[in-house]
Amino acid sequence: MSDSDSYDLPQDRFYHPRDHTWSQVREADGSQVRIGMDAMQLDNLGELAYIQLQPPGTVVKAGDSIGTLEAAKMTAEIFAPVSGTIELVNDSVLTQPLLVNQQPYGEGWLLQLTPSDWTADSAALIGGADIEAWAVAEEARFKAEFDASA
Amino acid sequence: MIPALRLIREDGVSDRYGLAGDEVLAARAGEGRSPATLRLYTYRSHAALVGRFQTVEHELHLDYCRSQGIAVNRRPTGGGAIIMGEQQLGVALCIPGQRDATYGNARSLMSRFSAGLVSALQHYGIGAAFTRKNDLEVGGRKIAGLGIHRTKSGGILFHASLLVDLDVPLMLRVLNTPFEKISDKEIRNVSDRITTLNREHGSAVEMDAVREVLADGFRSAWGAEIESGDFSAGELTAIDALIHDRYATTEWLFRQSKVTDADGFARVKSAGGLLGARVATAGKQLKAVYLEGDFFSSSGAIAALEGSLRWHSTAGPEIRSTLEAVYARYAADLASVPIEALQEVILRAIAAAAEDADASDPYGCFVEPGREEVAVAAAVGSHPKSNIQYPQSSGGRQEEVAVAVAVGRKG
Repeated sequence: MSDSDSYDLPQDRFYHPRDHTWSQVREADGSQVRIGMDAMQLDNLGELAYIQLQPPGTVVKAGDSIGTLEAAKMTAEIFAPVSGTIELVNDSVLTQPLLVNQQPYGEGWLLQLTPSDWTADSAALIGGADIEAWAVAEEARFKAEFDASA
Repeated sequence: MIPALRLIREDGVSDRYGLAGDEVLAARAGEGRSPATLRLYTYRSHAALVGRFQTVEHELHLDYCRSQGIAVNRRPTGGGAIIMGEQQLGVALCIPGQRDATYGNARSLMSRFSAGLVSALQHYGIGAAFTRKNDLEVGGRKIAGLGIHRTKSGGILFHASLLVDLDVPLMLRVLNTPFEKISDKEIRNVSDRITTLNREHGSAVEMDAVREVLADGFRSAWGAEIESGDFSAGELTAIDALIHDRYATTEWLFRQSKVTDADGFARVKSAGGLLGARVATAGKQLKAVYLEGDFFSSSGAIAALEGSLRWHSTAGPEIRSTLEAVYARYAADLASVPIEALQEVILRAIAAAAEDADASDPYGCFVEPGREEVAVAAAVGSHPKSNIQYPQSSGGRQEEVAVAVAVGRKG
């Protein structure tokens, strides 16, 4: 866990309640959604050494793997928070994975997709006024998991 | 947390079978289709395994591996390249985990996983400690490499390679290192940085005995009952499928990361003498650092410095912070090595590596003893960057089953 009890979780995007990816609508018509990882999860993962992401054109369902990562302590999958077709992959994070740690909501975004059902998928994400209460609950859950396995 | 662990003992397994077995057990544990399992096994001598994202051509001397029948494969876990065989014990703990579990407990899980190993080493009078990313060390020397992989199902694979013994000259020939030749000096250099159970114990120990001590260590650390068992038919079928789809394919072996590997060297004169640093980098991370010079210090302190910088940020302030922590532990040993000079030479070497980022032949992650595997001379394919030939997927499932069983499993 972080030494700090608070994480930067901007309110201009939605968060997956368990996987801690974020989704942000890029176009007014909802035709493009950008995806990244939130600060809470990155604090737990530690510095990213490598990232591999599915290429543009890949069709994914919410919960599917969109890539893999190697962080300070483990290798793991990255799961799609919403369904859709991958349009863009951020090549900068493939060559400099630390960008994800350093700028998780800016230059460290992972990929951009065209959602197939944003309205339905986003209903399962956390946004707006719900973020603060969710973050507090997640911090407590992280701490409980940490304590249970320590 | 885990009331019982199935214990599977194996020896002389093939690289494909060994790796696929671990991944299948973890994935199925996550799905609730297999019990939590502790697998203690050895690979057939010898096998070289690179980390999940490493570039195999940079990490290994592929032509040498081919000429010696040394198998090469890629692990699902991260970290550096390792060599495995009958004197390196593979430890795979495969537990359910949860699909919705956070990564948050990864650090404590690693510590707890390590506890089983630490407990076992204590049995032999060896005090080991978990350090940084994937190391279990004794007096600053690495004795085991560790890694965690979380599968899609949420199952967790904790993998370790315990060095019961190690053929250092062979390791130097297999792994791509900054050492220019295989001399007594280079062998001593490596021996100053890694150690083995036999060396620390002072006499050779039987692998079977180590296995039983380890099982006791995990029983103690996890409070779990240990029940001897073997793979189920369903698990073996799944292993065969994964060998076919992944671990026997050239696509898996030769996959490329977009993170650039590079190496650099620098030398500075300091009050304590001439100081040199060789670094291997992956993007903005230090994979390894090797220090040399005519300064006076204990080999343990130098090994601790190098170990503390494995898989470390290349950023100056973070390197300084890490150096200060090691200097605090080894103040007397490092008294003749000014920290400013050490920081300077490392940063210069990193800068040289950055300039050399397009180098065609960077070093691998050299002092990373680890896992194993074995050559399987089945249907072969060649990679354009090497003369080496490795098995590739043939599409013949039954043929692959035969390879997995006849070659991968002894007896």
